[in-house]
Amino acid sequence: MKWHICVSLIAMLCLALFYNLPIRNNQAQAQGKAGEEKITVLSPMGIPPAIRLKTMAPRLDTLDGKTVYLVDVGYVGTDILLKEVEDWFKANMPTVNIVYRRKFGFFTSEDPFLWREIKEKGHAMVMGVGH
Amino acid sequence: MSAVVDHCINVESKLGVPTVPLIISEFHDQVKLHRKKKGMPGLRVTYLISPVWGKTAKRLRNEIVAKSPVSETMIMQEIVGNLTKPLTAEEKKMGTIEQSAGPERFTDTPDNLRQYFMDNRMTDYLPIILPTEEKVAEMLKGTSHHPDEVVGKMAAHTQFPGAGMEIFEHWSYTVKTVAINAVMAGMKPEYLPVLLAVASTGKEGLSVSDNSFTEMLVINGPIRDEIKLNYGIGAMGPFSQANSTIGRAWNLLSLNAGNCGRVGTTYMGVVGNPMNWNNIVIAENEEDSPWQPFHVRHGYKPTDNVVSLFEGWGIISAKNSKFSKWTREPDFPGAIKRILIDQDMLFGATAVLSPVVAHFVKEAGFDSVDKFTIWIMKPEEGQWPDFRSIRDINIIITGGSNNNYWSYGGMRYFQSVLIDKWR
Repeated sequence: MKWHICVSLIAMLCLALFYNLPIRNNQAQAQGKAGEEKITVLSPMGIPPAIRLKTMAPRLDTLDGKTVYLVDVGYVGTDILLKEVEDWFKANMPTVNIVYRRKFGFFTSEDPFLWREIKEKGHAMVMGVGH
Repeated sequence: MSAVVDHCINVESKLGVPTVPLIISEFHDQVKLHRKKKGMPGLRVTYLISPVWGKTAKRLRNEIVAKSPVSETMIMQEIVGNLTKPLTAEEKKMGTIEQSAGPERFTDTPDNLRQYFMDNRMTDYLPIILPTEEKVAEMLKGTSHHPDEVVGKMAAHTQFPGAGMEIFEHWSYTVKTVAINAVMAGMKPEYLPVLLAVASTGKEGLSVSDNSFTEMLVINGPIRDEIKLNYGIGAMGPFSQANSTIGRAWNLLSLNAGNCGRVGTTYMGVVGNPMNWNNIVIAENEEDSPWQPFHVRHGYKPTDNVVSLFEGWGIISAKNSKFSKWTREPDFPGAIKRILIDQDMLFGATAVLSPVVAHFVKEAGFDSVDKFTIWIMKPEEGQWPDFRSIRDINIIITGGSNNNYWSYGGMRYFQSVLIDKWR
């Protein structure tokens, strides 16, 4: 009889341990899930402006007989580069009239006198160098 | 880069003259985005082999008859084609493109959100405080201004007045946006008026310039003690929450609200700058200075709380200069003059003196900063002045008095703004 009681107690203990372990595991999982609960955060982004598209100028049928302005924005070495571009035109497209101009002021400065000259006398503009 | 693109867009759209901007190839991504932002996504650019600066005529001659590193077509033939090939239907498109910076809220687990913020370059890659509604509401207690009030607008480059056209697009932001970025940086609500004052200027905390600039704030007035800014030992270092987080918050605000710091488009610093993490934040040590504080010298009252903005290459110790030797009877005015006049006039020079060094200078006969600055500017016999105006030289006093050290750098002063307006 004692032996039966002893076996029953051991069996109950095993069952208790068996069912208890998953409970503990679930608790751990539940804690993990709680730590991973979804939250809502606010965007730190600003508001970008709308873009208004601008008109591109019509292209030329040909450069023959046209005046192309080579405009130097003022960055170091641009004058040397544009001289080479001018020489290339003279050697390869001699009918193109090339005019070199150094834009007034800092890179970002406007040069209304030059813009007016290009509008009146030029057909196209090549500007360099963007760095 | 941007200036050339902008001039060409203006010449095309305003004068009706076809153009070809010549840009070095490394700026391809930036140009692609920039020409779209400026309303001419089809602007025909010819990319050159970089760099141009420093090359001989012979080398450039060979390079312009080579293939463009971007299009793989011959450079000179491409220039001719860009001026003569008829516009496509896409290039003729007109209208307005609305832009969005994404959703106003994100919902996910904290780990995923942190990863999302990093993946989308909304952080400086250091840990952030996630800006929940509750934390942002708490931060907003630092100001009486309405959360929806527009504070200002920011671009990746601030143009000096009169320096010509604005190049980068300006993004706008509200008080709430500033507070969100302040939360992320780890700021306390009582610091918020400082950041709002900085934000109101529109000055970016991360400059696009290939110079790898850093930015600097000088804070004056009683607020220094209110928010526990450190202006004693280690004043420019990370030794108080206010010093550490205000400059960081300015950067996060610039990244997110101003669209700055996007490598390849709105950030082009060649070697970068370690000071970009939280910029340079200096609370002046007004109490130990022998002179009037910086803000008073710029027309403010001593009791005004003022933040002043600078930009440049950074601040380093003067000790390593050959003009700054350890000697028994150091000549501080002479050393400061020799080091400052060695700086490039374009950005001027800023000296950050410890109080003890400032007292040495005063005792040498300079009872005001102006007197000292005029003396620094005065050229040697027969030489041209190194600086254009007294404003090109700035003297800031901060730090401890435990030794005779000072720092300096090419930092130019932009402007000062009142902080209390944003309380």
